[in-house]
Amino acid sequence: MSETRRTTPTTTAPPTQPAGADFILRAHDVYKTYRMGRVDVPVLKGASIDVKQGEWIAVLGASGCGKSTLLHLLGDLDQSDPGKGEIFFEGEPINRRTRSQRNLYRNRTVGFVFQFYHLLPELNVLENTFIPALVGLTRFSYYAKRQEIHRRAEELLQSFGLGDRLKHRPQELSGGERQRVAIARALMNQPRVLLADEPTGNLDENTGGEILDLLAEQHRAGLTIVMVTHDRSIAGRADRIVELSQGRVVTID
Amino acid sequence: MYHVVLTNRYLTSRVIPLIAVGAVALCAALVMIVVSVMSGFLDMVRDSGRTLMGDVVIELAVEGIPYYEDLIKRIEALDESEAASPLVDSFGMLQMPYPQGDNKQSEYVQFWGIEPESFARVTGYADTLYWRELDDQERRTAPQWDLRRQLTPQVLKDGLTLHDSRSDRPGIVLGMHVSKANERMPEGGYHPMGDGYWWMPAFDVTLVTIPTRTIGGQVEPESFIFPVVNEFVSGVFQIDDVRVKIPLEVGQRMLHLDEAELVDPDDPFTVIGTDPARVSKILIRAADGVSPNQLRDRVIRLYDEWVMEYAERDDLIVTPPTREFGLSIRTWEQVQARFIGPVEKERDLMRILFSIVYVVCAALVLTIFWAIVHEKTRDIGILRSVGCSRIGISLIFLRYGLVIGVLGSVLGLILAFIIVRNVNTIHDAIGRDAPVWSWVTAFGFAAVSLMMTILATRREHMLPVVLWSLGTIAMFGLGIILLFHRGTLVWDPTVYYFDAIPNTLDVPNAIVTIIGAILFSVLGAFIPAAKAADTDPVEALRYE
Ligand SMILES: Nc1ncnc2c1ncn2[C@@H]1O[C@H](COP(=O)(O)OP(=O)(O)O)[C@@H](O)[C@H]1O
Ligand SMILES: [Mg+2]
Repeated sequence: MSETRRTTPTTTAPPTQPAGADFILRAHDVYKTYRMGRVDVPVLKGASIDVKQGEWIAVLGASGCGKSTLLHLLGDLDQSDPGKGEIFFEGEPINRRTRSQRNLYRNRTVGFVFQFYHLLPELNVLENTFIPALVGLTRFSYYAKRQEIHRRAEELLQSFGLGDRLKHRPQELSGGERQRVAIARALMNQPRVLLADEPTGNLDENTGGEILDLLAEQHRAGLTIVMVTHDRSIAGRADRIVELSQGRVVTID
Repeated sequence: MYHVVLTNRYLTSRVIPLIAVGAVALCAALVMIVVSVMSGFLDMVRDSGRTLMGDVVIELAVEGIPYYEDLIKRIEALDESEAASPLVDSFGMLQMPYPQGDNKQSEYVQFWGIEPESFARVTGYADTLYWRELDDQERRTAPQWDLRRQLTPQVLKDGLTLHDSRSDRPGIVLGMHVSKANERMPEGGYHPMGDGYWWMPAFDVTLVTIPTRTIGGQVEPESFIFPVVNEFVSGVFQIDDVRVKIPLEVGQRMLHLDEAELVDPDDPFTVIGTDPARVSKILIRAADGVSPNQLRDRVIRLYDEWVMEYAERDDLIVTPPTREFGLSIRTWEQVQARFIGPVEKERDLMRILFSIVYVVCAALVLTIFWAIVHEKTRDIGILRSVGCSRIGISLIFLRYGLVIGVLGSVLGLILAFIIVRNVNTIHDAIGRDAPVWSWVTAFGFAAVSLMMTILATRREHMLPVVLWSLGTIAMFGLGIILLFHRGTLVWDPTVYYFDAIPNTLDVPNAIVTIIGAILFSVLGAFIPAAKAADTDPVEALRYE
């Protein structure tokens, strides 16, 4: 059984990427089906996406078409239907790893930015930012790295214009400020890929624009960004736009 | 490391943990208080048996035990026994000095004729005597009305010897509640009515009884006038209410159990020997480390040998009865079986009630934690998205539950200790009418709240109006309750045997309760946390 599972994708795609390709993150022919009661709801039906190192790619699609689902799969926050398709990070399939490797992947390799910011309400801005850096540290190693961690978080926040808000709670910030904290958190561990799920979806046009400027700045500094949005003009800020429709990714332009 | 940061933040930045700590503390305190008072009560029942009658009792009612002095000497020679003391007991009427209408009041009493010196060695008699000189320390703290401030050491001495040194007569010691003129004061201690006028040791009383040993014919009551020399408080209301103590010889004489000449039944003028003096009971105290059962078995053997020895003597007309003749040798627990039996049943009942209280408290703690953790579902999703492991997330809540459990149970322990310590004061306060200042204060607060309500209606927000009006109603209600509160005695000594509520904390139980409280807090936090950590992070993030 497990044999057939493993071999199924290899019949439609090579187990690893072709040599020379500079794809950092790649989904190949993935399926995702949700079960609602007794009904299977297929959301992704053979979606494939290739993310090149250093590019800013926008996934455009109508609301409810499965953009968030795809992003969650890329960030290994969720798993695609077994036996169909595969997701690779730097050529390695990510679906076949141990739990701690998966945690490490979420912690170090990717950074998530959500539409609803998802900050921890009890922590202040500074703590919200450096929490990913604490994961995996023992009390002892924390005290050893404490200053370094605080400095990095403070620098990030300062560069995002939040230098005077370090001790504030998320509730005391505006939407744009919260999203900047969320981005700072996502960048805290210097991830290889930033996964942004409608990062401006909850913001007005001006504030949203500022957030996009900020992403653009990170992108210029070399960060790979996958951003999903339903808004064509926002998608326009990216290097490349693909469209998700009918559970598949179609390349446009 | 993020566990520590998060636990600390969760604990310090919200009101809910405080509520949880309060709930755990109240639950733990509730259990500790109930169990302490109940088990204190049961301990008092047990201890009272020993302090009232020693460990083992030899008893032969009516007929009495002859040659008891020799028997006691032999019992005291046993390694297993510490001391033994003879007594006679019966019922009688005691004519009191205080009036009832035109006559003097009579009280029904149970009298014990005792040999005070050995009686004090077997029981806790010396400690029960109430009227004595206060030492300097006590004099400083005792209330002004306390008559004991004015007493000389002679009062205690007379009580211990049952001898009135003023008139050189045999004296009587009454249970504190025999005289209905003795009032228990809210501050503790007793004060005779009439501002101390009806202090019993200043009066004589007359004891009237029917002799137990009668040869037949018309029975004449016996009476004797005693000066009251002291009063005792055993703590067991049922005893302090009816029992009086007189010297053994007087009791023997009144009951016709004293030594007499034995005459030939056919010729009443010929003395054929002596009928020895008798006692109805011999109380024995076990030596240290000897259980009442061990002592009883030893005394039974000794008694049987003793009876055999006397049966072989031919110089005696009267011989001691064998155990078949209604003579019993029992431990105090057996003697008190009728009293202890229901108490044991009550203990079983209480165990069931305690378990229910425990379960209810545990369920409460579990529910609170469930709610707290449930509310944090989205946080758990966020943490999973930044790479936290399930175990790490569960640890946050484990730590959270642990801190709340420890804080709550320590607080509960302190609360329970304070309440149990002052349980009699609290009870007495409930027993009195509420003081004027209490309801005046409550109405004052109600008025202030009312003003605040009116002021709040002028502003936009609804919540302050609701809160202040609830406050007004609560304060007004409290004031009404206090105003109309009439003292009610919850712990009625006539019902509960003892005149005070036990006020020591049951330490083993407190330890169990604390461990239980911590365990349930940890479990209560851990189970939902484990469940939450297991939920799909995407689902958890959707959770609003
Ligand atoms: N856990 C779930 N159970 C059932 N249906 C789901 C679940 N999560 C998402 N869906 C459905 O999958 C579809 C795609 O969801 P999503 O990826 O959030 O869309 P988008 O981000 O493009 O708006 C939607 O129709 C949504 O209702
Ligand atoms: Mg979405």
